[in-house]
Amino acid sequence: MPAKVLLELKNVTIKFGGLTAVSDLSFKLFEGEIVGLIGPNGAGKTTVFNLISGVYRPTEGEIYLNGENITGLKPFQICHRGIGRTFQVVRPFGGKSVLYNVMVGAFLRTNDTRKSREKALEVLQLVGLYNKKDVLAKNLTIVDRKRLEVAKALATEPKLLLLDEVLAGLNPAEVDEAVEMIRQIHKSGITILLIEHVLKAAMALSQRIMVLDYGKKIAEGSPEEVTSNPEVIKAYLGDNYGIA
Amino acid sequence: MRNFITPRYYLPALMIFILLLIPLFISSPYILHIMAMVLFWAYLASAWNIVGGFAGQLSLGHGVYVAAGAYVSSLLFANIGLSPWFGMIIGGLVAALLGVIVGYPTLRLRGAYYALATVGFAEGFRVILINTTKIGSWHTGGAEGFLVPLLGDAPQHMQFMSKVPYYYLALVLLLIIVGFSFWLDRSKLGYYLTAIREDEDAALALGINTSRAKLIAAALSAFFTGVGGVYYAQLIRYLEPNAIAGAIMSNQIVFLAIVGGRGTVLGPVIGGIFLTIIGEMTRILFDQVMGLHLFLYGIIVVLFVIFKPRGLIELVEKPYEKLVKMLNGRRVEGAS
Amino acid sequence: MGVLSSIINGILMGGVYGLLAMGLTLIFGIMKIINFAHGAFLMVAMILSYWLWKIMGLDPYLSIIIIAPLMFLLGYLTQRFTIKPVLDAEKDVREPIGALLLTAGLAVAIENFILMVFGADYLMAKTAYSGASINISSLSISVPRLYAFVTSLVVAFLFYQFLIKTELGRAMRATGQDRGVALLMGINVSKVYSIAFGIGTALAGLAGIVLIPFYYAHPSVGAVFITKAFIIVVLGGLGSVHGALVGGLIIGLIESVAAQYMTATWTAILIYFAFLAFLLLKPSGLFGSRYEW
Repeated sequence: MPAKVLLELKNVTIKFGGLTAVSDLSFKLFEGEIVGLIGPNGAGKTTVFNLISGVYRPTEGEIYLNGENITGLKPFQICHRGIGRTFQVVRPFGGKSVLYNVMVGAFLRTNDTRKSREKALEVLQLVGLYNKKDVLAKNLTIVDRKRLEVAKALATEPKLLLLDEVLAGLNPAEVDEAVEMIRQIHKSGITILLIEHVLKAAMALSQRIMVLDYGKKIAEGSPEEVTSNPEVIKAYLGDNYGIA
Repeated sequence: MRNFITPRYYLPALMIFILLLIPLFISSPYILHIMAMVLFWAYLASAWNIVGGFAGQLSLGHGVYVAAGAYVSSLLFANIGLSPWFGMIIGGLVAALLGVIVGYPTLRLRGAYYALATVGFAEGFRVILINTTKIGSWHTGGAEGFLVPLLGDAPQHMQFMSKVPYYYLALVLLLIIVGFSFWLDRSKLGYYLTAIREDEDAALALGINTSRAKLIAAALSAFFTGVGGVYYAQLIRYLEPNAIAGAIMSNQIVFLAIVGGRGTVLGPVIGGIFLTIIGEMTRILFDQVMGLHLFLYGIIVVLFVIFKPRGLIELVEKPYEKLVKMLNGRRVEGAS
Repeated sequence: MGVLSSIINGILMGGVYGLLAMGLTLIFGIMKIINFAHGAFLMVAMILSYWLWKIMGLDPYLSIIIIAPLMFLLGYLTQRFTIKPVLDAEKDVREPIGALLLTAGLAVAIENFILMVFGADYLMAKTAYSGASINISSLSISVPRLYAFVTSLVVAFLFYQFLIKTELGRAMRATGQDRGVALLMGINVSKVYSIAFGIGTALAGLAGIVLIPFYYAHPSVGAVFITKAFIIVVLGGLGSVHGALVGGLIIGLIESVAAQYMTATWTAILIYFAFLAFLLLKPSGLFGSRYEW
């Protein structure tokens, strides 16, 4: 049985002034998939996330979630419909505790403070922050901030989770831990689209990879297919990125 | 079963009990008036705190809502004899409406721009108030101000010859707003407002309709402030546009909340009580020195912003927690 | 007063507004702080200038030599010892408002300090030229306003040259554009802030000095001017130096000309509406660059 299409971008283009940041991008995400979005710096990866999550409105094209056109909806409406995201530069509510941060996300699906706390604790357990639940978010280490970022998004009970470089800035041991965490999240039934600079990890995690260069999709396929694609190699080598 | 005989319950209860007993021991109407004003300022600072503290929107124009409540209720009272008790609701609602009118166009503005816009609204409103002497056939007094008709002892019209009822009324208002803040702090709306204060874009990404949350906060804050204005009108019985809608009123409300600790349940209350008492004391002790009490206000605000940006609450919290712990310890010892 | 006279006198006053607003916009442009004490600083300079004139017979324009450096120092020290610690503490806050609150507190403290020391009297340095005017047929131009205007323009010109031509001016502009980059370039950002606040305060002081021969000073006179300065900098674009000057001229002109046709208060209301319209619809003002807001 073919899997259900969860997210679909149809010919999405966005221009900032004269600059085309994303050009005629189309792709489908199937329910239960874990897909990597890679590409050199400035390829427009984060812009794609901002388009999907409603921060930007596409100049042309449409975005569908579960068959519903979500183009032009506000970020909070898109989050309501089941897309959670993290930010590349983490954005904790610094003056508040870890638990508080995650409860803000959990309140999306409940009005009850106790239920929200329960949900948040559950998520904190999953991302491994339970023991730091009372620490102020601004006092967390980089790794834990990334975990928190994921936890906040998870607490909104998304069907699709957009992870923007959650592995960047981590040491190898931490990367392994984080990869394991993402696997756990995926196992719990959440579809994942991730942007990664740590290619090795992206390759290991993703069932499918899309490569973006200058706002265009230049390749798509299994990790093996993509890494042997000459155009991908050219795009990366031209930008001083070896495929590690 | 919860045990209600813990310090966490009986200490606040004791505090309220003491506040309730005060009029039995103080007969001077002058002192009672000051005490009522102390509670009233704590109330206003708490009302501001909903939007300025929890949501982090630095409103420097809350005088508008005080004036709205005061003028609406007083005009209805003077012209059609509507009791200020009802005027409280109508005045509060008119203020809430104004809060939304100010809040809606300023939704996009952040930080300093929002603060400047509220100054602009407040100044515009004040100028209109000064230059309006009549609304239809109703006299508003313009720059000369508006005298609220005095009926003598008329409880049904919120007028009393004794200061005691005014004191209790202020206490009730304060308890209501503290109760509300306590609820807000633990509610979804409170979490949402705090998230907006900390990082609005991140809040949006977590599914928070930030515009709606900010407008609700603006309306609630303005409503409570407007209700305060109605009380003020009956206590002072003279409305002067510059004093009630001007920068002095607006800034003072903000200062109290800042010094006490904005964004906390009890901070504005503590700030309101502390600063108002200091202000009144300097007024009494150095009544010939013009400006001294406001000079002290300014200096205290400056010192707090520099050295204790989280406010007096930080200084009070720890000893209080210690006290609770100590009392708790004793109780357990006694029980065993 | 004829329309032409009111146009000219409006522009003359507008120059002073522009000078005051320039200081405010400089501080905002570089430090991203709205200085609520700006009007209080203007008032302090007015009072000082008055007393120097009253006691020593020093002409206000000569008192510039003493008061301008004094105001610079006052601003410099204010930033160094009050604003800097607040900014440092709020480094990782996204919407820092501590500094804004601080200046609001300072404004109240300064105003009431002056009230305590000098009283609430209305003071004006009635110099020989205070009441003078140049009359050409029906046209009447106030001499002290003319002096004030010319001085304001000269100061504005010099200040602009300083920003464009000198190393320090360039460092200040770089800091205003991107604090992080300025740090990388080896600019001592904290010192630049102090200097910017000092210069901004000196500009407010100069505006106060040129006003004192024809405008009454009292402890709360700053409130009148700071609201105007707010309006002007929003009109001209927060952070835009030439925008402040042009904005000042426009507001001076509107005030003076509109007064011919309606009451002063309706003029004020009109200006507030224009102010809000700009703030809400075009916060970058007439000349401002687009800021992140």
